[in-house]
Amino acid sequence: MTLHFQPSSPDHVPAELMIDFDMFHIPDGVNDPVEIWHDLVRRGVPKIFYTPRNGGHWVFLNYDDIVEGYRNHAIFSTYQTPVPPIEPFPVVQPQGVDPPAHNVFRRLLAPMFTPIAVRGMVGELERRAATLIDGFAAQGQCDFITDFAERYPTGTFLYLFGLPEDRLDEFLALANTFFRSTDPAARAQNITEIYALLDTLFRQKEREPGNDIASAIVNARDDAGNQHPWEDILNCGFLLFVAGLDTVTNTLAYVWRYLATTPAAQQHFRERLDDPDAFLRAIEELMRINAVSNLFRRVTHDCEYKGVAMRRNDRVVLPNTVANRDPRVFRDPQVIDLDREVNVHLTFGVGPHRCIGSLLAKREVMVSLQQWLRRIPAFELADDQPAGSVFGGSVMGFTALRLRWDV
Amino acid sequence: MRVIANRDLCQGHARCEDLCHEVFATDAIEGKVVIVQADVPTALEDKARLAVRNCPEGALRVGRSGKGDDA
Repeated sequence: MTLHFQPSSPDHVPAELMIDFDMFHIPDGVNDPVEIWHDLVRRGVPKIFYTPRNGGHWVFLNYDDIVEGYRNHAIFSTYQTPVPPIEPFPVVQPQGVDPPAHNVFRRLLAPMFTPIAVRGMVGELERRAATLIDGFAAQGQCDFITDFAERYPTGTFLYLFGLPEDRLDEFLALANTFFRSTDPAARAQNITEIYALLDTLFRQKEREPGNDIASAIVNARDDAGNQHPWEDILNCGFLLFVAGLDTVTNTLAYVWRYLATTPAAQQHFRERLDDPDAFLRAIEELMRINAVSNLFRRVTHDCEYKGVAMRRNDRVVLPNTVANRDPRVFRDPQVIDLDREVNVHLTFGVGPHRCIGSLLAKREVMVSLQQWLRRIPAFELADDQPAGSVFGGSVMGFTALRLRWDV
Repeated sequence: MRVIANRDLCQGHARCEDLCHEVFATDAIEGKVVIVQADVPTALEDKARLAVRNCPEGALRVGRSGKGDDA
């Protein structure tokens, strides 16, 4: 694989739309990675601009344009989109395929992530969250990232894929290298290992199917009655591995960081533990304000979008956090209103590639918080936060978050 | 009051079901909206209207009862 990090200033981009912005770089002193995006808005940069960094890419800052980026797959494709560009890149199923072809795997996966399916997982999600929290509740402190936020979604992945719990550390190590390593050789080796593991797993589920997602994928048949191409099966497993871990980990991290610094919000949730509607309404607001993902698209052909000339293969970055605080869509967008009634946030995207696991992800956050509040009294940030523990990129978040409470 | 769903636009966010399950449900295959009762009882109108306004896809609409406004 080749990474193209060189700055790119193509001649179709006018000077007034060229802004020097590195989405992977969090400057010293910035302790919340989403702020680099909101800083762009405060500076009044053009709502559609191009940065030469990371191989060069467009950025959309208006809610409506971000929606268009998600919905208009005739211009904005999900096929091989990484920023910076990595070529060749696996065509992950179904995320990396445009409609209508993406429907094959979308349809296959959809029944496993419906509200009905997710309601059936709640008991197991609760048990897993409770077990993790019981492991450190009496200590009066934890590193929320390593003790909970990484382990919980990874454990959920094992459960969904019908894998035994004793493999948790192996999967955690693979995920951590995948998400955090900046060494190209280590990353290439890591991806090879993930694919080898998926290959073994799917072979096993082919022989001995269980009541799990891996078995459903490998034993599904296409319209002609054949198994799906093996490469697609692996790429679908790969997507499920990478899409549901880092995103959930850092959403949890953001939510707990906010709660740890906002006692009134902790109280708000505690008082609504037995009021699921109000609890969920407040969770939606935390989803809006803590949108950790910046999604990528790739321009399909030379064209003009809103008067801006774009070239085939230009990359476009869609920052959900900016859409979610657009004053034309949200009243008092910077205010965290846990009773906000109209909340059409884009945290899970919209359109045909809407995050298929969004209901599961939201449920993971909700269950975690319910189980936490039933076991842990008022909590706050510990004094000894490690320096430099924030990162930007396609998922933004924290590598450490030390919490403390009285025992 | 009547509610109308466009299942082509629906992408299964299920916000409507979360906000007003008396009127909106989702199917087990695609997770898309299913209208439980298209003619919304007066007592549920505010709840149903809020659910319509929270659809991120704009797939839901409010119409008047008995107008056959399903187009």
